[in-house]
Amino acid sequence: MDVFEQFARAGLEWQGLSADDTDVAVMRYIDEVFGPELRALMTVDMHGLWPETDFDPSRAPSS
Amino acid sequence: MSHPQDLALRDQAAGIAAGELDPGELLQATLERIAERNGPLNAIVATFPEDSERMLAEAPQGPLHSVPFAVKDQFQIPFRAPRDGTHSEAAPPGDSGVFRRLREAGAVLVGVTNMHYRGGGSTGVQSAYGPVGNPWNAEHVGGGSSGGSASAVGARMVATAVGADGGGSIRLPAAYCGVVGLKPTFGAVPVDGNLHGFYDLDALGPFARDADDGRLAAEALMGTELPPGDASNLRVGIPRFFWEDLDPDVEHGCKAALGAAGWATEDVAVEGQEHARIATALNLAIQIMPEWPLDDVDELDPVTRAYTKFSALIPAAALARAHRVRSQLRRSLAELFGRVDLLAVPTVPAPAPTIADPTVHLPSGPHPPDRANVRQTGLANLTGVPGINVPAGLHPSGLPVGLQLIGPWDGEARLLDAAKHIEQATSREFVDAVPQAYL
Repeated sequence: MDVFEQFARAGLEWQGLSADDTDVAVMRYIDEVFGPELRALMTVDMHGLWPETDFDPSRAPSS
Repeated sequence: MSHPQDLALRDQAAGIAAGELDPGELLQATLERIAERNGPLNAIVATFPEDSERMLAEAPQGPLHSVPFAVKDQFQIPFRAPRDGTHSEAAPPGDSGVFRRLREAGAVLVGVTNMHYRGGGSTGVQSAYGPVGNPWNAEHVGGGSSGGSASAVGARMVATAVGADGGGSIRLPAAYCGVVGLKPTFGAVPVDGNLHGFYDLDALGPFARDADDGRLAAEALMGTELPPGDASNLRVGIPRFFWEDLDPDVEHGCKAALGAAGWATEDVAVEGQEHARIATALNLAIQIMPEWPLDDVDELDPVTRAYTKFSALIPAAALARAHRVRSQLRRSLAELFGRVDLLAVPTVPAPAPTIADPTVHLPSGPHPPDRANVRQTGLANLTGVPGINVPAGLHPSGLPVGLQLIGPWDGEARLLDAAKHIEQATSREFVDAVPQAYL
């Protein structure tokens, strides 16, 4: 069992959910598809990149 | 006389207002057209002739007086519980903002349209009612999640239908089915009675056969006038990032349409664009979680089940980072719209894949459809700005090609002007094209 499978099974078990082999295989595929962009997002330097304090997608940002 | 559903939405409305088109005959002909064409497409999942006839008898005077329309199966309506692409009733019958607005405009609801299961996909393949087919080739997908609405308009069962767009779910099926699809600015159409919890992504809007019909339907849904203007001298930004890795014929068709428009163009970059796709996917996955059936997740099909479980493992820090990306994208767009009037990108990177194998094939290789498609559309959802699909060509496969125009906040009128300009510049070749099956 590799790190991904350990994480998937343990994380779901902690939430009261099970994962069969099909679940793990499909989740592994999803991770292969979206994982590189997710990890890039998690590691990009965001210092100085502040979220809007009055976020409202119905209008242009005010800050 | 041609079939009344071959008339434009505006011509149906004008014909009724002038006493030249009998609304009872229009309703009956519409129901017959649905019965005739819906089978291979599976676009409309319910009709209710007696309720439609009652609506017609009581139709208020308005710009769409007595004109038929359809709504996606994620909105409450008074005489049928929405299913949201599932087997079960997701909410009781009731009122919704889109139903109320079109009712106030005088329109008559004739059907509920099929959709991707819980709005969670861009193909329309997964639905309790079966896959949505494409009017240009029923073996290909109609798109998602509002695929039934796009397919019904493309097959001329109705002249307008309503959809919802949380990550591209109006624009993507519109491109696949060769119709106009408008995602308005976030919040421009009331969301009450909309089942989905995409609380700051989802915008509700119309499908129509061309920009003028789209304007008429959008005005009714938004409850405001969208005055037409001149779009012959626009400045259009081309964000090259979204023009990479495209089916060559899609790229060619979109470039040809832009060339025909004759607009001044300049290459631009949206700051944060490289994170837009994952930020969209994260927000879609997390925002829908409260409505997602974790209790009975094991009842779902294997792919949906695994996506649901995967979503439960997403780290919270990722969403916080995605939120910062949204602000970065919004600030960058605000700056860009000081220099250009619109952005232009292909709506979908490749034509509609087959229902049997909805893999999208791009120069870089095969891709899952949602990943490939959301790259093109998520930007407008993350930032709240409006976007529109404009039919822009026909692929050698015979399937439609769509060009997406993205405007500034509250820029719907400009988008519709620009869409009409492209229609005129291409001699209406692609909005007036009729699928081979209906010739």
